[in-house]
Amino acid sequence: MEEHYQHLYEALSQVDGYIYPNEIDLHWGLMIVLYPYITGLVAGAFILASLERVFNIKALKPTYGLALLTALAFLFVATLPLVSHLQHPLRSYEIFMTPNPTSAMAIFGFVYLWYLMVVLLLEIWFDYRRDFVIWSKTSTGFKKLFYKVITLGINETDEKSAKLDDKLGYYITVLGIPSAFLLHGYVGFIFGSIKANPWWSTVLMPVIFLFSAMVSGIALVMVVYMVVCWVRKVKIDMLCLDTIAKYLFYILIIDFTLESLDQIHRLYEAEESFDIIKVLVGGKLNITLIYIQVILGTLIPLSVIGFFQIYKPAEKIRKFAYFFIGIIVLIGVFFMRWNVVIGGQLFSKSLSGFTSFNAVYSGMEGYLMAAVWLILPLFILTFLLWLMPPWKKVTSHE
Amino acid sequence: MGTKRKLENRRKFFQTSATLIGGTLMYSLIKPFEAIAETKEKDTEDDKANLPLWGMGVDLESCIGCGKCVEACKIENDVPKEPFYFRTWVEQYTVKNDGEVKIESPNGGIGGLKQSVPDEDIFKSFMVPKLCNHCTKAPCVQACPVGATFISPDGVVLVDETYCIGCSYCIQACPYGARYMNPITKVADKCTFCYHRITKGLQPACVEVCPTDARIFGNLKDKKSDLVKFLQKNPTQVLKPHLNTHSRVFYNGLSSEVK
Amino acid sequence: MPKLIFRLFLSFVLFVSVFIFIQQHLKPDSFGKYGHYRANAIDDNKMRTSYFKSENKCKECHQDIYDLKDNDVHYGVRCESCHSPKINASVECKEMPPKVEGTLKFCGQCHAMNLGRLKKGVPQLDFKEHKQGQNCIECHNPHAPWELKEN
Repeated sequence: MEEHYQHLYEALSQVDGYIYPNEIDLHWGLMIVLYPYITGLVAGAFILASLERVFNIKALKPTYGLALLTALAFLFVATLPLVSHLQHPLRSYEIFMTPNPTSAMAIFGFVYLWYLMVVLLLEIWFDYRRDFVIWSKTSTGFKKLFYKVITLGINETDEKSAKLDDKLGYYITVLGIPSAFLLHGYVGFIFGSIKANPWWSTVLMPVIFLFSAMVSGIALVMVVYMVVCWVRKVKIDMLCLDTIAKYLFYILIIDFTLESLDQIHRLYEAEESFDIIKVLVGGKLNITLIYIQVILGTLIPLSVIGFFQIYKPAEKIRKFAYFFIGIIVLIGVFFMRWNVVIGGQLFSKSLSGFTSFNAVYSGMEGYLMAAVWLILPLFILTFLLWLMPPWKKVTSHE
Repeated sequence: MGTKRKLENRRKFFQTSATLIGGTLMYSLIKPFEAIAETKEKDTEDDKANLPLWGMGVDLESCIGCGKCVEACKIENDVPKEPFYFRTWVEQYTVKNDGEVKIESPNGGIGGLKQSVPDEDIFKSFMVPKLCNHCTKAPCVQACPVGATFISPDGVVLVDETYCIGCSYCIQACPYGARYMNPITKVADKCTFCYHRITKGLQPACVEVCPTDARIFGNLKDKKSDLVKFLQKNPTQVLKPHLNTHSRVFYNGLSSEVK
Repeated sequence: MPKLIFRLFLSFVLFVSVFIFIQQHLKPDSFGKYGHYRANAIDDNKMRTSYFKSENKCKECHQDIYDLKDNDVHYGVRCESCHSPKINASVECKEMPPKVEGTLKFCGQCHAMNLGRLKKGVPQLDFKEHKQGQNCIECHNPHAPWELKEN
């Protein structure tokens, strides 16, 4: 407690201008930056998978299973930053018991459950079902037990069941696209609907969150695909990689357009909150917004991939470029979440002053905790890839 | 023969289990609506008319920024004494001759607000007490994911301390900065109009101690109350009217510099 | 209906039923009575302990001081404004009398010069000039400030 007060006294001495006395402490910290980031990765990875399944972009086939498993690995971890953040985590079941119909946050439990169970798990199950049946016959130990259980006793592998699996999987994916939009759109709405905070309160917020989520998810699958191929020592399918980069480019354009539109609109209307926001962007958010989010995370990737659309350099250069681009896009989108969540709390609702963000390393809201929540899904993904390797699949959908 | 009976049994099994499950489902679906159907008719109409509707008036022409209200509130409501948690506070506005507006509230105004700009630079200066506005259309109540904060039937926005999960969404949603996260109870906290006092016929602590009667508390439905007379006599405003929160704290003498 | 779809649908229905069943049990009893909240929370908020007793309680023992105050300029200042309680309102204040010191700092809380203090009725003094170094109560009776003490 004393340490906590120590931080607050420090923050008090660093107050610039006037803030309401209760605003010294930032209530939403690193964990709340992480949650939209992780759910964004899930939604984005799923959309990439659905590009192949629903829109029949065959070039993306090598990454279909990988994208789904990546989405699943991150979805398992998605609630954990929230639980870290809550002051009373043991009461979190209340969101399921008495969700407030007027609160955007209350949708969380149900959207999460729906997406996890009905969309993601089912889709993976329909795609892998026949493989589970086949694998259960040829494997031993834990894997054999797992495959037997997961088939739920349905052991047909004939043509008719294959067609049914395909059809159902297709419908689930179609259902999954608006579900993914809802999963991440509502997070944007959580911020966009707060009229008290002018940095958050914009109609575009859910859409911006959604498109930057798609950007981050696609970049993540791109990087994961390259790493997995490197670990497995197999050749990367360059057509697939080029196609992923192409879609990353398209969605990044839309994302950049939306974010720019938001800022241009603010600049033009210059209403009450503009003066303090101008100081915010030019000052405390200068590095994280202009340099990292915009230049590093958006403009550089756009120029490089855009250039590749006109002139394709050698494979080796492209591979290196894609990997680098994937990483900086992921960093850029993380900082986009940072700029929204932390940025929105740095200035006072009195529009007359700033407080400061004091980084902590340990504790429930610290950097270490954030690192754990980001690395854990990668371990889960490794486990899932060992359990259900997409490249060992004998069957595949139409 | 054998297969036919097997199919028969299987069908019976599915039928019975489907009925059982369907029955449970039906019952569970009806139960919540039962509760609504019962109570709604009995209490609401009658009681609502008899209940007061609490509100507060703040006379900015009288406030001297002594900070006694802030101190009293902290004592009465067990608010942590550190300068980061306030249910109410007083702001000092100093408009300088060059047009710059200086706003300050050191420790919420406890100990009395001191003049911080030399006389010759001051164009005008005044004090503004702030507190939870108990909005009739409270954005904090709208935002709470579990229903831990609510508007009581007599118009006071309260927090259910045993139910709040501590997500801080209500604190983000309040446009007036009236809420804080209590470090001891770890739930959202704010001015309650001293609900435990007003329901016993007493005044809120801040009103009790104000030496200049700058805070006027009362029942908006009572035409003879001091509050209603205050509203009739003075041109009053609410804070941030463009946000349409239907705040029930009315300020007399609110100058445009007030944030 | 194919076995597959039937089984999945059945598990879904089962899950939803179990969920609703648990929900009804874990939801607090008084929830939803007046709105989307636990109605008993209203009573919880009423049950807090009070510290401030209000002037009528002070008058029960200190009627004389009250009358003195009522006839001088501090008539509008309630007792607890200066004498903030040190104990719970259900305890007799004899246990810990809310004594205060009439120092410059204490009285200056209301009476120090500040251009922001608009109210004409509150005298404002520059304490560097007015009797610096002394305490207010050496000359003024706090309950009847214009009854100056003879020096």
